[in-house]
Amino acid sequence: MTVKVLIVDARPERSRALEHALRDAGFDVVTRADEHDDLYAIMTRVKPDAVIIDAALPSRDTLEHMGQLGRRFPKPMIMLAEEETPDLTREATSAGVSAYVVEDVQPALVRSMVNVAIASFEAHRALKGELTKTQTTLSQRRTIERAKSQLMEMHAFSEDAAYQWLRKRAMNRRLTIHEVAQAVLASDDVES
Amino acid sequence: MNEPQTPRSEWPLPERDTLTLGMLPLNDAAPLVVALERGFFATHGLDVSLHVESSWAGLRDGMQLGLLDGAQMLPLMPLASTLGLDGRSTPMLSALTLNLGGNAITVSNALYASMQAADPEAMAQSPISARALAAVVRQRRAAGESALRFASVYPFSSHRYQLRYWLAEGGVDPDRDLELRVVPPPLVAEQLEAGWLDGYCVGEPWNTLAARRESGRVLIGSHAIWQHGQEKVFAVREAWADAYPATHRAVLRALLEACAWLDGSAQRVEAARLMCEKGYLDVPPTVVEESMAGEGTPAPHGVSVFHRHAANFPWRSHLRWYTEQMRRWEHLDVAEPVLEDCLTRCVRPDLFREAADDLGFNYPLVDVKSEGEHASQWALEGRRGDIAMGGDQLLGGVRFTGRG
Repeated sequence: MTVKVLIVDARPERSRALEHALRDAGFDVVTRADEHDDLYAIMTRVKPDAVIIDAALPSRDTLEHMGQLGRRFPKPMIMLAEEETPDLTREATSAGVSAYVVEDVQPALVRSMVNVAIASFEAHRALKGELTKTQTTLSQRRTIERAKSQLMEMHAFSEDAAYQWLRKRAMNRRLTIHEVAQAVLASDDVES
Repeated sequence: MNEPQTPRSEWPLPERDTLTLGMLPLNDAAPLVVALERGFFATHGLDVSLHVESSWAGLRDGMQLGLLDGAQMLPLMPLASTLGLDGRSTPMLSALTLNLGGNAITVSNALYASMQAADPEAMAQSPISARALAAVVRQRRAAGESALRFASVYPFSSHRYQLRYWLAEGGVDPDRDLELRVVPPPLVAEQLEAGWLDGYCVGEPWNTLAARRESGRVLIGSHAIWQHGQEKVFAVREAWADAYPATHRAVLRALLEACAWLDGSAQRVEAARLMCEKGYLDVPPTVVEESMAGEGTPAPHGVSVFHRHAANFPWRSHLRWYTEQMRRWEHLDVAEPVLEDCLTRCVRPDLFREAADDLGFNYPLVDVKSEGEHASQWALEGRRGDIAMGGDQLLGGVRFTGRG
């Protein structure tokens, strides 16, 4: 059987590369979606045998719900009975790949599909130097710390005053602290 | 920063000092963030890294694969994992509740207007019942229009069952009258704006955020559905708890102290700052502050209780309330003896009491309590004197014995 795959990824470049790699490996990529698409509508329309989704997307929980709705919807990879699944799932997790598969796809095909996705995500990461989910929190924190240091230096602010400055700006512009911190570092313009 | 210290000599020495714990970007992850950033973990000899996961599924995978030592979880998740209903069958347990309440139900501006028009009397009540929604459902059906769509956050979630409880109480059949979905909290506001969703039940800060964006109207908070109902727990794998009992106990002590610290509203505002400033919650800071403090105009509905009223005690009857909801909607098909055994395994007041004794904290002497009996504060006998308990009313005046 040809396995019909849906890719859900917020990064178009990476998801295009994954589509090519999966096609080369004999899979039929039915469509690509990002997290702002209506997954219920897409899943019902294209009826994929498998979904590859960026593990950092909150929409995984939507797929979990669909998996609970019935046999025709793909189930999370961690549920597969195969003995080697935990190792493969662990590798996939560290590469930022999550997979959902209907029960009747052969285990060898699942392994092959997931390995293609892992390789594709890792190649993209090596190329772009993108961050894993865990690194994102740390990177946000570092950005905020750097913006505070810059404000403290430029205005002779205390640390608390620097935070309050960021907070006030965030409030006025309906932004997050991290977004304001990025703007501060990008512009060097810290005049209110 | 907060270097791990040697714990007091009368406490058992943790078998491990380096731990990775999982959380989701939600207000009620505050006890974990506070325990780390304010040094409570360090006081108990623990060097903790917090992993912010994007989805409950990701957090479940991390726990089942052993990548996480413990995590913030929805109350039903340890049970679902133990029974093999959620992911790979993996026994898990919880010995501490992180918070009570914290969710709310929000509808789109368009649905709010329809509800106003259909049944102004029902909409004038407080709390707002789903009766006006039932009227809109009838009108739409008569006009041949499609079913309204409501979302919660995960199949094994408190939100799903609180939403169903509210709907059914107002005469809406959630399975026949609506299309129910799961949509992650960071996406609900935009889906409401896009018209893909008509309403949802999620935790803070995501209701307050939608209200402040004027994407929708908050109808009712979870305290008005189940007053002081259980919301999130701290969970570990059963095998992990057996292998590292002193470590688990040290984590519980640190979380208990963090929760006690969070009891004051000034501290909760400070916690809001920690979550925004340290990169855990990428949401406008005033939204987090308002929803944490329970202040603002209008006042947020989804305010968490982190410690008072024996909030952290793992009531076996709290989880039983959720399993009875699952049974009500035919989501749980296990025999009573199996369920009873599972509740005993998954909820561990005995471990909570050890940690509380270490700190000299008070706790209840019983493991089960009824719900729906108290409209306001009441006194419960505790190990160190009476405990001031909160009201425990259920919407519609329902009583629940706490047993199956």
